[in-house]
Amino acid sequence: MTAAPVETPADVSAGGTSGAPQKVDLRAARRAERRLRKAADRDTVPHGMRATPVGRVARTLLLTVAALVTIFPFYAMVVLSLKPSAAVDFPGSLLPWPLTGEAYHAVMSAQDVPRWLLNTLIYSVVSVVGVLLLAALAGYAFAKKRFPGREAMFWSFLSMVMVPYHVTMIPTFAMIAKLGGVDTYWGLIIPTLANAQAVFLMRQFIMGLPDELFEAARLDGCSEWQIFYRIVLPLLKPILATLGVFVFLWHWNDFLWPLVIGQSTDMRTLTVGIASLQQQNVPLNVVLSGSVIAFVPIFAAYMVGQRYFTEGVTASGIKG
Amino acid sequence: MAVVAEPTRRGRRSGPQARREARIGLLFVLPCFLLFLAFRFGPGVAGVLMSLTDYSLTGGGHFVGVDNFTRLWADPLFWQALKVTVLYTVIAVPGTLIASVALALITRRAFRGAKFFRSVFFLPVVTSLVLAATVFVWIFSTGGPWSTMVGWLGMSQSSWLSDDVLVLPALAIVGIWSRFGYGMLILLARMQDIPRELEEAALTDGAGPWQRFRYIVLPQLKPALFFLAVIETTASFQVFDAVYTMTGGGPANGSYTLVFQLYDAGFKYFDLGYASAIGVALFVLTVVVAVLQRLVIGKDQ
Repeated sequence: MTAAPVETPADVSAGGTSGAPQKVDLRAARRAERRLRKAADRDTVPHGMRATPVGRVARTLLLTVAALVTIFPFYAMVVLSLKPSAAVDFPGSLLPWPLTGEAYHAVMSAQDVPRWLLNTLIYSVVSVVGVLLLAALAGYAFAKKRFPGREAMFWSFLSMVMVPYHVTMIPTFAMIAKLGGVDTYWGLIIPTLANAQAVFLMRQFIMGLPDELFEAARLDGCSEWQIFYRIVLPLLKPILATLGVFVFLWHWNDFLWPLVIGQSTDMRTLTVGIASLQQQNVPLNVVLSGSVIAFVPIFAAYMVGQRYFTEGVTASGIKG
Repeated sequence: MAVVAEPTRRGRRSGPQARREARIGLLFVLPCFLLFLAFRFGPGVAGVLMSLTDYSLTGGGHFVGVDNFTRLWADPLFWQALKVTVLYTVIAVPGTLIASVALALITRRAFRGAKFFRSVFFLPVVTSLVLAATVFVWIFSTGGPWSTMVGWLGMSQSSWLSDDVLVLPALAIVGIWSRFGYGMLILLARMQDIPRELEEAALTDGAGPWQRFRYIVLPQLKPALFFLAVIETTASFQVFDAVYTMTGGGPANGSYTLVFQLYDAGFKYFDLGYASAIGVALFVLTVVVAVLQRLVIGKDQ
C-alpha cells in the first residue's frame, strides 16, 4: 500500500539568486511552459505508440460499446420504474414512452419507503460523522504522538482488516441482541463505527503533515485539543472529504448488518427494504422506483466526490 | 530547509512533556480502540470460541469441542456451498481481472473523453448490489434482454437464474459488472508509473503492441494484479448481497454460497455456534487461497 498523496512544501525553494528583479508575467510564462511540455510530450511519444486515426476510431467504438453495456442496467432501471406496470416486457419496455410516475407515487405513499429512507439517512450520516471524528483522533495520535502500546495497537487494527467481517458479525450480533440493541438505531450504528481502513488512511495522511505546524501552535500556547480542532482538522479537509464520501456510500449500500439487526419492517434500511420488496409480489416498476430513489443519493455523492475517487482508490486500495 | 531544528525535534524526550504527550495520545486513541475491542477483536476471538459451542439465541452455549466442524464436514449443504463459492470465484475473478486490464489498457493514454469513460466504468462500483440486482433480475428473466441475446446465439431463451448451472455465470456477470471499474482504476494508477523508455526501447527493437504488452507492461503490472487477485478473491468468497436479492440461494441450491449458509444457519435457525464454524471455515479458506496466490503469482516480489 502506498501513502496518500500529500502536498509537500518542496517547491517553496523559489529563491532567486540573480540580484536584478525581473518583471515576469508569471501566468504567461506558465502557459508557455505548459504548451512547450505538451509539444514535447507529443514529440516524445514515438510514432508507433501514438494512436493512428483508425486506432482512435476503434478505441472510441470499443469504449462506447463498453460504456453502453455498463450504463444499460441504470437506464433500464430508470425507464422501467417510469412505466405503467403492464408495460415491462422486453424490448418495447425500454422505449422511454409512455412514462408515468405512478410507481413512485405508489412506493412513496406506502408508509414503508419514506421510513426506510429516513433510517438509511440516519445510519449513513451518523456513521460518517462518527467514523471521521474517531478516525481523525486516532490517526492523529498514531501519526504524531508517542505513547506506550502505539505500535501494538496499530498493527492489531490493521490485522483485523484481514479477518472476514462474517466471523466477527455473529458474536457482535449475539452481544447486541443480549444488550437489547436489535431493532434500535444504536444497535445498528455503534458496531460499524470501528473502521480500520479509515484509521489507517487518516494516519497515512497525517504523517505527511509537517510537525512544525503543531510545534508552532504549541509554542503559541494552544492546548492539545485546540491544536486538533484548529490546526489538524482544517488540514484534514481533503482526506475528510474523500473518506466521508466513501463511508457514506459504504453505509448507504450496507446490507448484511442492517438485514440482521433491523428485524421489524420499521427498522429496515433502504437496501434491506428493497430486497424484501423484491422477494414479495410487488410489481417490478414499483421495486425499481424504490431502487431509483435509493440510487439518487449514491449518484449525487459520486458526482460530488468524483475527483476524490480516483485519488482515494489509487492511493489506498480502499475497498469499493 | 532549517536543518538546525531537526535533531532536537527527533531526539528522545522524557520527563513531563513526554508523559503529557503519551497521555494525550492515549486519550485520542482510546475511543476508537475501545470500539475496536468491543466490536472487532472481541468478536473476532469470540467467533472462534463460539464455533466450539452450541450457542444459539434460544439457549445452549455449552462447549462441544469440534462437534460443529465434524457436523460441517458431514453436511452435504456445506460442500454444496463450498463448491458454489469456489465455482463463482473461478468465473468472476478472472473475468473481472481481464475486463479491468483491457479497459485500463484502452483508457491509459490521455485522450478527449478519457475521464468521462473512466467515471462511467466506476459507477457500478459505488452502486449497491441490492439495487443493481433488482434490475438484473429483469435483465436475466425469460424473454428479457439477456435471454433474447443468447437466443440469437441459438441458446435456450429461458432465464439463467432459474437454471441451477447457469445461475452462477449469471451472478458472476453481475459481479464482474460491479467490480471491473475498481480494478481498472488500480491498474491505471500503476500504468502511469511504468517508465515510458522501456516501451520505447521495445518499440525500436520492433516489438508490436502485443509483445510490448506481454513483455513490458504485464510484468510491471504484476504487483498490482496480485493485489487485485487477492482483493477480488476475498470479495468473491463473501458474495452475498446479489445472491440474497436475486436467487435466494436457488434454484436447487445452485447459488447457495458459504456466506448464504452462514446467514441461514445464524439468522434463520439461530444456530450461532454452527454459523461461527462456517465463518471460521471461510476465514481458513481465505488465508489458504491468499497464501497460494502469493506462491503462484507473487513469487518474485
